[in-house]
Amino acid sequence: MGRLSPQNLSRGDMIRIGLLILALILPFFPFVSDYILHITILIFLYMILALGLNIVPGFNGLLDLGYVGFFGIGAYTSGLLTVHFGLSYWVIIPLAFANGAIWGILLGAPTLRLTGDYFAIVTFGFSELVVLFLTNEIWLTRGPLGLPGIAPPSIDLTLFGGPKWEFAGELPYYYLAIVMVLVTVFVMYRIQDSRLGRAWFAIRDDEIAAVSCGINLLNYKVIAFAISAAFGAVGGSFFARWVTFLSPDMFKFWESFLILCMIVLGGMGNIWGVMIGAVVLVSLSEVLRELLPLLGLPVQVRFLAFGLIMVLMMRFRPAGIMPIPAVAAKMKAGRVKRKRGTAAAELKIGSTTGLNK
Amino acid sequence: MFLQQLVNGLIIGGIYAMIAVGYTMIYGVVQLINFAHGEIYMLGAFFAVTFISVLGLPFYAAFILSMACCAICGMLLDVVAYRPLRNSPRLAALITAIGMSIFLQNLAMIIWGSRPKPFPHGTVPAYFDNTAVTFGGVNLSWFHLFIFGLTLVMMIGLNLIIKKTRWGKAMRAVAQNKTMAALTGINVNRVITYTFALAGALGGAAGVMVGAYYNSLYPTMGYVAGVKAFAAAVLGGIGSVPGAMLGGVLLGVAEALGAGYLSSLYRDGISYAVMIIVIILIPAGLFGKLIKETKKSM
Repeated sequence: MGRLSPQNLSRGDMIRIGLLILALILPFFPFVSDYILHITILIFLYMILALGLNIVPGFNGLLDLGYVGFFGIGAYTSGLLTVHFGLSYWVIIPLAFANGAIWGILLGAPTLRLTGDYFAIVTFGFSELVVLFLTNEIWLTRGPLGLPGIAPPSIDLTLFGGPKWEFAGELPYYYLAIVMVLVTVFVMYRIQDSRLGRAWFAIRDDEIAAVSCGINLLNYKVIAFAISAAFGAVGGSFFARWVTFLSPDMFKFWESFLILCMIVLGGMGNIWGVMIGAVVLVSLSEVLRELLPLLGLPVQVRFLAFGLIMVLMMRFRPAGIMPIPAVAAKMKAGRVKRKRGTAAAELKIGSTTGLNK
Repeated sequence: MFLQQLVNGLIIGGIYAMIAVGYTMIYGVVQLINFAHGEIYMLGAFFAVTFISVLGLPFYAAFILSMACCAICGMLLDVVAYRPLRNSPRLAALITAIGMSIFLQNLAMIIWGSRPKPFPHGTVPAYFDNTAVTFGGVNLSWFHLFIFGLTLVMMIGLNLIIKKTRWGKAMRAVAQNKTMAALTGINVNRVITYTFALAGALGGAAGVMVGAYYNSLYPTMGYVAGVKAFAAAVLGGIGSVPGAMLGGVLLGVAEALGAGYLSSLYRDGISYAVMIIVIILIPAGLFGKLIKETKKSM
């Protein structure tokens, strides 16, 4: 890691390290209340989710509308294992990861042969079925009553003669969330630069070319979907132990849409962009939550803003705030054609190499 | 019992079919899953109630006016949201559609409030509740007959429009090949916008009928109905109008029978399950085009 000596740092690295230090000392600023800390944890949680989802639309170019289903599976895995078996959170993380991945493979293996729209619809149907299952299987999940009393995580050193320290207040969750985000970002960067990541990008950019280079489309897509689902489930496992209460309502389609918004806003496929998307949208959501009651409107109306943001982004900046070149080129493919202007060129649909070809 | 469930299923299935036809027509001409279609249906119901309670119109007048408004909404939706993205990747259009759906739903929540609304008392014709026909122990009210008859008339009318009129011919041409259609002098964008209008009118009519039938309107009603209708369209083979009609009726019957005999808790789950299974096993649906063609259009 000689790269980390000060003279080798690029400006981007400096910003990254600066932001990390800022995040680490944030709780000690006097103006930071528990509320702000809570929102920041929420931002970190959504970062994990958005980074996880990003694998499917951002790295592979497939639209996943059912991500919240995996988030819900992870959350209930964590919640139920805690309530019924009292498992430690550190054991639950890999279990949730595995459970998410299993469901990702179960759903992905038969459906990833499908092209764009059909796949999006299947994932959407899946997440709705998850919510229905959570609502109706009362013997397991207590249904709409919700699952209360999930114990917070604890660091248990009694085995080595140390103390047992249970999480209380927002502070320990804050640092746990930072660690989880860092791990997620690290994994994402490693995947992005690996053989696996390059295969995904090849699939995203041109499926036919990818196949002819010997990439097994289905295998790589299933791996992508499983990893994405697993990160969703890990996010869910944290969520369950953090809010200590789960109800099926928390895993409605809107959450999928919100996470998708973050990716689209930040720039599909761009790890930094996706994280910025999470910061912007969670903050916006909280600001609107404060603002809307003052205007006499129900809080749900903030989704109106999200809907509008998505429509406007697609219209004016389809590759997001921080676009990556490959996605931007695709999203612009149609626009250039329109400016050229003859009726036939204007209407030539098939030639655009769309993300969802 | 069985007959009663079957009749319920047929009625609700007819309504699904009307919405599903909208999905399938739009998919046929622009290859876009118009997620906001369910919201047009919701708007239809709210328009009707507003016309009745604010303007004091009689039920039938409000019904027709509401259909017209929904047609306009459909056209606006296309012109404002989808037309600028005509040549963009499918992902962009799909995300826009979801965005519009959420936008419209919350707009309705701002305008009409989030609590369920009934139709104003006494505005739905009184004889609707009277029994019209009884056979095999099943009572059919006039309202059942009204919905059933209207669905039938609209489906036949739609088929005539698509098969017999110049405009229908243009629609079919656009659905087959936009470039060729444009070369023969068809204004493709206008045909697409008209298709949205037609779909919107049908969706609005379905919304008014459901609103009056269950006597309860709420801004999220378009979401579930939209998803079910989409499942129906998928079942029938997306892009195929007769397929959507049959798919709607089949799904309605399956749902009513499933809810009656299996578990009413999973009533909504049936359509999701049908959707997933159909997509996995026969992605072209019952009447869809060859899979090869479907794939090409992706």
